[in-house]
Amino acid sequence: MSAPYQPRVPRRFVGSYRPRIDAVEKAHGSAPYADDEIAERNYPGLLHARVLRCPYPRARIKHLDTTKAEALPGVRCLLTYRDPEVARLKPTNAGWTDAVDTVSYDNMMWRKFRDRRVLGDYATWAGDEVGIAIAADTEQIAEQALRMVEVEWEQLPFLLDPISAMQPGAPVIHPEVAEHNVLPPDPIGGPDVFLNRGDVEQGFAGADVVIEMDTSHHNPTQGSLDPWCCVAKWDDDRLTVFSNSYSADQTRMHISQMLDLPIHKVRVISKYVGGQFGRCDTGDQPFFLFTALLARKSGRPVKFKHTRRDSFHDTRQGALYHCKVGAKTDGAITALHFKSIGDIGAHADHSVFALKFAPAEIAEVALAPIPNVKMESYAVYTNRIPSCMMRGVGNSQFNFIFGRMIDGLAERLDMDPIELAIKNFGHEWGSCPDQSLTAVLETGAERIGWADKRHKPGQGPLYEGAKRRGVGFSVHPGWHAEWQEERRGQVQAKVTFYPDGTVTLDAPTVETGTGSNTCNVLGCAEALAFLGVHPQDITWVSTVDTDNGMRDCVQTDSAVSFLQSEVLAVVAEQLKQKLVDLAAPVLGVPADQLSIQNGQFVAPGHSVSVKDLLWQGDLVPVSVMVSRRPSTQRTGVPYIASFAEVEVDTETGRTQVLKIVIINDCGTVMYASGAEAQQVGGQVMALGEALTEELIYDPVRGVPLNFNLID
Amino acid sequence: MTAHSLPTFPQRIAMRINGEDREFEVGRDLLPTTTLSAFLRERLGCTGLKISCDEGACGACTIIMDGKAVLSCMLLAVEADGHDLLTIEGLPDDDPVIEAFAEQCEPGHGTALQCGYCTPGFVMTARALLDENPTPTLDEVKEALSGNLCRCGCYAGIAMAVGHAAEKIAERGGRA
Repeated sequence: MSAPYQPRVPRRFVGSYRPRIDAVEKAHGSAPYADDEIAERNYPGLLHARVLRCPYPRARIKHLDTTKAEALPGVRCLLTYRDPEVARLKPTNAGWTDAVDTVSYDNMMWRKFRDRRVLGDYATWAGDEVGIAIAADTEQIAEQALRMVEVEWEQLPFLLDPISAMQPGAPVIHPEVAEHNVLPPDPIGGPDVFLNRGDVEQGFAGADVVIEMDTSHHNPTQGSLDPWCCVAKWDDDRLTVFSNSYSADQTRMHISQMLDLPIHKVRVISKYVGGQFGRCDTGDQPFFLFTALLARKSGRPVKFKHTRRDSFHDTRQGALYHCKVGAKTDGAITALHFKSIGDIGAHADHSVFALKFAPAEIAEVALAPIPNVKMESYAVYTNRIPSCMMRGVGNSQFNFIFGRMIDGLAERLDMDPIELAIKNFGHEWGSCPDQSLTAVLETGAERIGWADKRHKPGQGPLYEGAKRRGVGFSVHPGWHAEWQEERRGQVQAKVTFYPDGTVTLDAPTVETGTGSNTCNVLGCAEALAFLGVHPQDITWVSTVDTDNGMRDCVQTDSAVSFLQSEVLAVVAEQLKQKLVDLAAPVLGVPADQLSIQNGQFVAPGHSVSVKDLLWQGDLVPVSVMVSRRPSTQRTGVPYIASFAEVEVDTETGRTQVLKIVIINDCGTVMYASGAEAQQVGGQVMALGEALTEELIYDPVRGVPLNFNLID
Repeated sequence: MTAHSLPTFPQRIAMRINGEDREFEVGRDLLPTTTLSAFLRERLGCTGLKISCDEGACGACTIIMDGKAVLSCMLLAVEADGHDLLTIEGLPDDDPVIEAFAEQCEPGHGTALQCGYCTPGFVMTARALLDENPTPTLDEVKEALSGNLCRCGCYAGIAMAVGHAAEKIAERGGRA
């Protein structure tokens, strides 16, 4: 990085380089994570739950004998698929929403793909939670008791790859949802051909060149270091769940709807989360339900926690992509056809978001200038670990083929791929060339040394005998403009201003590491600058508790960094008016002649400190809560480009990344240190995903071989 | 395995934890099978260390034993008998490593922590490194921290923080 970020508009706090607001407690190890607090000392009588995980890729429980397990000292409570409170639970899906909104059972996003039974008798991957959950005095006793349950399994034929699963006669994994293992059309994702603009066949016919290519993307896992955990505790008929879920309001809705409890009878609390990265979708996970039922049955608080192996629980979708592109000799693309086959694993959950919803969004923006575009996708069940959201849902898979397409076409046309991209892509209401796209590509090219390093395939020099180097880029429309967050609905924030000039900021969002808490404090200080408030005068409420009646803004799309601050700007206006109305009669000045500047009430003939005036009053804090929808004013589409220089040993295949340049059109940066950490950190995770991480399955037994952080 | 074939352990064990001498009774305070990480967190409330992988792969449970960084999930609590343990709770408020991790915001490198779950492990590993080698090179820092995993990917900020911690130690006349 050659020069630090300089805000385009001078601001007091927003856009600054500074430590995170939670840095001191995190560096001391005193930041409260759920697993630190869900302990006997805070929950007397705490029990620990474990759930049976199927050892086979596909199997049905024919019979369970729990006699020996029940007799084990320390076992307090068992819950099986035969218990009526379990058997009556509705079939569900673990991705009710993409977390931007809160949804009911009936309105869940993937309502046609309810393939999950809570503690059912049918397992569809090696690791599926089925049959029985046990609560005991310790985790070890619960685990030992599970091993003493005599399970008679009916092992069933299984499938590990989507192509086999699509063949006629293949075993059908979830017949109630997908007759031939391919998810049917649904109201959100649309039909198999989910986008068909213009006429691609005509577009290919009118092209000077037509080429085709394929990519295959594996399924890495999120690998959050903080394993999922929760405690469920009943006080009479009221349930409290404390967990490291990143979506408190939706978690409450999920539990309320599935257990048929009125909303006010469920309280959900979340504090810090040790990394989210999309794991478990929005967290509409069966374990919340069986933990709550165990707690009700036992009359004791019950904790459930994933082991590291359990936390290999879902992944990014593996996807095979095929692309056909036609273009004129000048590089103008006449037609594009993308076809994907997604390996969604054992449960549908949120897969169609990645395979249809996200690419359709890209088509609406980046591909808007292309006259003929067709996209089709087939989301296919297999008996592997389920897939779900992971950092940039669906984008990695699409960008892979998109980048290959740009490179392949440029090579065929003997064009610079940067020139080709700028010529063809933009967004729907903009014009080509797109300013943001051009800026990120040209800046990236300059920083990586494109002009010197780029060469045609196979024509670069050899290094140390057999090594070759190359530079390339990936480009992608970003998802961090306010209008793109329209579906969030109401975003809420509350400020309480105390008579000594200090502030409590309740901008509910579960802090997962993205630094939104620091963005919110900076946004709040900026908005309250008229009161002379500094970031150190603000206490951010780090606990999200549904009992406070506000909805939390869930950390997806990096959007919480600014969404709540937009609300805080409105809060500040209302707070100013409230304070003016309060002070006007005291000062004997008409309210319309009174203003507040730099912490002073100012009117003709008056200048008195806000603190001094409030301190003379009743000392009641002044609070303002605002609920506001994101502005839908279309401000543009921000682009992101990543450039890399790699060296490949052509004899061994060893690949080394020599240099990476990330150019992200971030718009207004709320917090420079946090924005840099997010860019760099995302790229570190991407490097792992591209070069070193892969989940390996034993093709004979159908079981995973490396669900750990070592192999 | 029958009960009488189990290896024998002392009934009472003694260890120094964050400067305080403590004694525990096997069977009452801990089991012979209790890991040191679980014992420190659950019995003694030292929740700064995290149990993330519980198999020696991530470094989140790192503590210092007799001056060396160790993975507390890979030790049984009874193995700490007679040893001197330091957890992050035992570091002073103005510890230069903690300060440096908290303060890192130097442009171009990002912060030294985001979600913060791995941070106590990194702090303890860095602390042990700097006790032994107060002026490490970047390669030595990388080597020492190679057993700690940060899934948020803050390695660049972490390397800066360790460098700044070394500077702080030097400024304080080599005081750890």
